[in-house]
Parts: sequence; structure tokens; C-alpha cells
Amino acid sequence: MKPETDELGFEAPAPLAHPGRTGLPAGHPTGPEVGERLPDFELPDSAGRRVRFHEDRGNSRAAVVFYRSAVW
Amino acid sequence: MELRDAQEKFRAAGVALYAISYDDRKVLAEVAETLGIEYPLLSDLDSSVIREYGILNTQVNPSDGILYGIPYPGAYVTDENGVVVEKFFRDSYKRRESAENLIEAALGRLMPEEDGDPKATGGEPDVRITASLRGGGGTLKQGAQRKLVVRFQLGEGLHLYGEPVPEGMQPTRISVAAPPGVVVGEPSFPPTECLRLETLDLELPVWSGTVEAVIPLYATSELASECHPLERTQATLEVTVRYQACDDSACLLPKSEKLVLDVPVLPVDVQSISLHQGHGQRELAIQGEPHMRRLFLRKAREHPVGVLRFVWSEVRMELASRLGLRR
Repeated sequence: MKPETDELGFEAPAPLAHPGRTGLPAGHPTGPEVGERLPDFELPDSAGRRVRFHEDRGNSRAAVVFYRSAVW
Repeated sequence: MELRDAQEKFRAAGVALYAISYDDRKVLAEVAETLGIEYPLLSDLDSSVIREYGILNTQVNPSDGILYGIPYPGAYVTDENGVVVEKFFRDSYKRRESAENLIEAALGRLMPEEDGDPKATGGEPDVRITASLRGGGGTLKQGAQRKLVVRFQLGEGLHLYGEPVPEGMQPTRISVAAPPGVVVGEPSFPPTECLRLETLDLELPVWSGTVEAVIPLYATSELASECHPLERTQATLEVTVRYQACDDSACLLPKSEKLVLDVPVLPVDVQSISLHQGHGQRELAIQGEPHMRRLFLRKAREHPVGVLRFVWSEVRMELASRLGLRR
């Protein structure tokens, strides 16, 4: 299948209409704003340890990255 | 993978790194072990945190099967109090920040260039100009955000001009010529100081000392596609800098300096599932299929009808490509 290029110039091994290729619509909210404290959360890590965000990072600066999947 | 490659830098900078997805612990554990990832890979299994943050991709719904529950990918960078100082959400999931972008956002300053970064120097004795490409080891890769940093080191008493300046004076301007498939953004400079020239009754925006301008850029598929092996493994960036250096009494001639950077072009890192294999990219050393099956079953339990629809549309997609729509 010849790769289909989106309007930003990106190709992917799936047709353009595939839901996996959907991008952030213009003007769509992107969660907590600059100046807001990140809402706390508690999630298990890969070892099953429960990680509570603000407690875990302590007094450190932090980078929280949301990605789609490690599987596909 | 770039985050993994830079995890030491995050530690050294004192920035705690967290990665969140809807994946289950099993695949995250295998990924962490195989790739030597030491920062937390957090499992947001039911996408509750993704939803709470308001970044659930709502263009994907239960009939999209395994895809349902994914976020719009992005990153938040916080200060020591957990308050967001910068966030990165782009128009395409393909556009990713470099690890350095995130660390720099946390620290509020540019990191120094590294030995391996593509670099070019020029200028004149009292105006040293260095251009370097930062991020991902100074490489170009589809979608990966990079920074071209142009640094001016000015001799004592000299300054360069911002804009606007009167006709006849050369403001500092930077332009980049890149191969097709490299998207170059606008240069951003630090704020100028105001220089007052009493005799001419002029106020001029100037920079002095060391000044760094940042030009963001990234590659699209035209330069490096993930669907076929790289057509080129190197790209040339030509940076043209126009400037004029003056001190309080006299000016040097306006100059135009060209700096040329040779940048390696890399394939992307892809998961080892059949969809991605055989395109000449860097395949992760993990058997992807068992994890796909488990993900599929999990989503099927949550949304049985939706998953059936998804399977049907995937089969149709596969048939269409096999029947070879002649293009």
C-alpha cells in the first residue's frame, strides 16, 4: 500500500482515515494549563508499585509524558 | 526511545520523568527491562488519568477497538511545586519533543551543546558565531522536534541590533535553507536591551555579550518516512546570518555569514508488530504480538461490539491493500 501523507507531511503504515492517525483538533483543550498545579494521580508502575505523583517527585521539577502505546 | 537515551540527563538535571499510557503492567515491565528504562512507566489501564486530564482522544471511540482510550500525546513540565511551567501538545502524534526540550523547559534555560552535536562556527574576532543542532544527539528524524541554536559571542562594548532599527542599520536576521521535508520555524531571540543614543535622540533595541537565538525545526516524511528505508542518511542545513556589530561610537560593516551543518538523518523506533516491520525502521527487540493479543482481549471484554466493528474494518483495510489498489 502506498503510504498516504497527511496535510502536515507525515506518512504512516495505515490509511489517512484510520482513527490511529487522528491529531489534536485546533483549539482543543490540552488539560492543565501553565500556572496550574498538575492534578495529583496514583498509578502503578511497571513493577506494580503504586506511584503517587506529587509524593513521588518530592521537591523535584518534573516532566510527565503521555504517549499512546508501547505495544503498537 | 529518545527519553530512554536521555534518562541520565534528566537525572543530572534533577528533573523527575514519568511516562503514562493505557498499557498494562506486563508490556511495560518487558519494555522497561529490555530497554533499560529506569524512570516510571505508569499504567493508566482504564485511561482514567488520561480522561481526568482532559486529553482523551475523543475522535477514537469504542468501535475503534484497541485504539480506544488513547490520549492526545504530549507532555507537561513542572517546577519544584508541581506547577506547570510549559506544556507540549502538537497537531500530530508524530511530532515529539526531544528530551532536551523537556529538560530545558524545566530548567528555564538552554542546555550547553554536546560534543557530538553538528556545529559550525564563523563570524569575526569580536563577533564569534556558532550554530549547532540540539536534541536527539543532533540528528534529524521524522517528527522529532529539534533546535538550531545560533550563538553570538560579542567582544567588549559591542552590540547587535534587534528590530526595528532605522534604515541603513542592519538588524540581526537568521534564515535557514534546508532540504525538502524539513520544516523550519521562526527564530526566537532573547529580549533586547534599550540603548539610548543621546546625540541622535534614538533608542535602539540591542543585544550584547553572549546571545542565543533558537530556531525550531523538524523533519516530515519527505526527508525521513517511517514507511520505507531512508533515502538519505545525511542532510545539510545552511544557516545565513545577517548582522551588524557596533560599539558606542562606531560600527563594523554589516555582514552576511553562512554556516553549514551536516546532520545525520535517522529512522524512527517502531514497535515489533507486523504493521511496522519491514519498513527499514529501528524495530524494538520485543515480541509485540502477544501484547497486542492481550490488549485486544482486554478491549474486547470492555467493548465487545466495538471491537468486532474494529476487527471488521481492519480486515477490510488489509484486503484493500492486498488486492493492490493500483497507485
